[in-house]
Amino acid sequence: MNKVKIFTAGIDLGSTMTKVLILDGEGKSRAQVTGATGAEHRRLANKVMAQALGQAGLSLEEIGYIVATGYGRVNVPFADCQVTELTCHARGVSHLFPSARTAIDIGGQDAKGLKIRDGKLVDFVMNDRCAAGTGRFLEVTAETLGLRLEELGELSLKAASKVEIGSTCTIFAQAEMVALLSQGRPLAEILAGLHQAIASRVVKMVTGLKIEADVVFTGGVAQNAAVVQAIKEKLGHDVLVPDEPLFTGALGAALLAREIALKCLANGKTIPDKERRLEEARLYEDY
Amino acid sequence: MAQDRGMDRAKAIYQDRSQRAGELKAQGKQVIGYLCAYPVLEMMTALDLVPFRILGDMTEPISRADACLPTVVCPFIRSALDLALKDRYQFLDGVVMAHSCDVAEKTAHIWHSYLRPPYFHFIDTPHTTGDSAVKQHKRLLKDFQKTLEQLAGRQLSQERLKEAVKAHNQQRALVRELYGLRKPDPPLISGVESLEVMVSLMSLPVDEGSRLLKQVITEVRQRNSGPPKKPARLLIWGSIIDNSSLIQMIEGLSANLVMDDTCVGSRFYWPDVAATEDPLDGLAHRYLVALKCPRTFRQADPNKASKDYQADLEYRFGYLMEYAKEWRVNGVILQSLRYCDIHGYEVPQVKDYLNSLGLPAIYLEYDYSQAALAPLRTRVQAFLEIIGQGNF
Repeated sequence: MNKVKIFTAGIDLGSTMTKVLILDGEGKSRAQVTGATGAEHRRLANKVMAQALGQAGLSLEEIGYIVATGYGRVNVPFADCQVTELTCHARGVSHLFPSARTAIDIGGQDAKGLKIRDGKLVDFVMNDRCAAGTGRFLEVTAETLGLRLEELGELSLKAASKVEIGSTCTIFAQAEMVALLSQGRPLAEILAGLHQAIASRVVKMVTGLKIEADVVFTGGVAQNAAVVQAIKEKLGHDVLVPDEPLFTGALGAALLAREIALKCLANGKTIPDKERRLEEARLYEDY
Repeated sequence: MAQDRGMDRAKAIYQDRSQRAGELKAQGKQVIGYLCAYPVLEMMTALDLVPFRILGDMTEPISRADACLPTVVCPFIRSALDLALKDRYQFLDGVVMAHSCDVAEKTAHIWHSYLRPPYFHFIDTPHTTGDSAVKQHKRLLKDFQKTLEQLAGRQLSQERLKEAVKAHNQQRALVRELYGLRKPDPPLISGVESLEVMVSLMSLPVDEGSRLLKQVITEVRQRNSGPPKKPARLLIWGSIIDNSSLIQMIEGLSANLVMDDTCVGSRFYWPDVAATEDPLDGLAHRYLVALKCPRTFRQADPNKASKDYQADLEYRFGYLMEYAKEWRVNGVILQSLRYCDIHGYEVPQVKDYLNSLGLPAIYLEYDYSQAALAPLRTRVQAFLEIIGQGNF
């Protein structure tokens, strides 16, 4: 079955970032591209796809199967099917770390916990209703403190001690930060407190799943070393982080696309069976 | 669709619940609103009063209730009180509430103070199922009967009460028959339609409701336009669902909702009232012990000193496995309204119980608002992918 060479792609339309990953005929990554999903760019997933195709040196027709996932997965006019981000993340995590039993994913506007058994998703929790303790929280923090998002983690790890931040509500925490700054508390200590608060929130949420090792941490926020460190401390054991945590969902989607495509071919079905248009994705709000 | 007259009527009542109540009032009937599943319907029916279930309206933004009720409580009860404050329950000749949960108890006071219904009664339904609790419940039901007699201006004979018990049992049997039509694959009636029928029954006098039910059952048996076959057959458990949009969202995915354990559904109708010499004995037992809502502290043998944990679990949740078997369910949705303590507390145990027997379950908390359904769709879809019935 693996002798069939087929390119597949996964597109993960997150609330903040759109990620595309293309797998080659051997199932190895051939291209991976990110672009902003937010505000004015939200419908421009086709641009990110075009860029990934350019990087891979392929045309849309040469991709055997495309799976869309993430918040904006519905109605991607060039995808062949949609699978939830929960299933795709679990698939991506298991591929990267076959020993994974629990995964924590913190993205731009949500956080989730996944329970994995034998490489398959068996249970999950997701945060509700608000973006407290997610990437958006870190963005607002960076803005308030006049820092770049990428600087937060490094700076925080330099703190000698950490302040107590009472809330991961983005609005309340921002007010708390300003108050602490005016009291003259060092920036690094405030950041350390914030990262602790994010870790506490997500670990509490995932505890309901009965956490088992190995634990993998993915999503954009896993790029922040201080959050990784704080989660390790809260859990009391190590946490595995992929080299490119942002692409886990897109990777899972591309792997599922590959599985589906190979299964179809084995059954003598043609793929893809739907017309594709490299056009703007539509969101729920468009209806 | 011309032959679906019963179904159409049920849908029309679901969409405008007060219209028929208005007609009945014009004929001189008295309509009594009741909140939750605990007020005893038979007593009202026996005195020729029309019991009318008080429900909320998910499509109506809560604006008045927040002035007299905390915002961090059951959004269903907030909605129901809000509707009353907006005169949507003005046609009621009286209101009866029970200590079904703490929010219902506190709201009973508020309802009474702010709305001053001509008749008002509160039943302090016990929270345990032992012999003394049942005895106490019987006494409380006698008190309820006395106030109803004052309202109706006449005594209630045991014979009349026994007849009412029969009439309501007959309706319960019909509801079970209707639910039986959800056993085939595909089911003959969808979860959305089933809910519409249940809401309409709670808006009609018992005999009229039973006639409608018979008509619906006949139509459903004969029609050839039922729900399509879907890979997943789900059971939904939990807080009250009185609006079909949550079920519509679920049935819009690759699943049919074939069974429920909620109180505008099987939970309300399942147990019959036993024919006892004194009808109050059968009623006291049915409405306290046989009615399975987590608001009651239920134990396999409450009168024994030592408690068997496994027996308790079976007693509390065993019926769900029976439903799952009979309706060939392959996944359970455990749902709780936000701030619904009684269901929230129950979730971890019921989930562990079902999982231990190999039945996958997912927990959803929802806001009693249509806007909050989109994120829930992702969860349900992921659940369908987990149980291998997803559409990929």
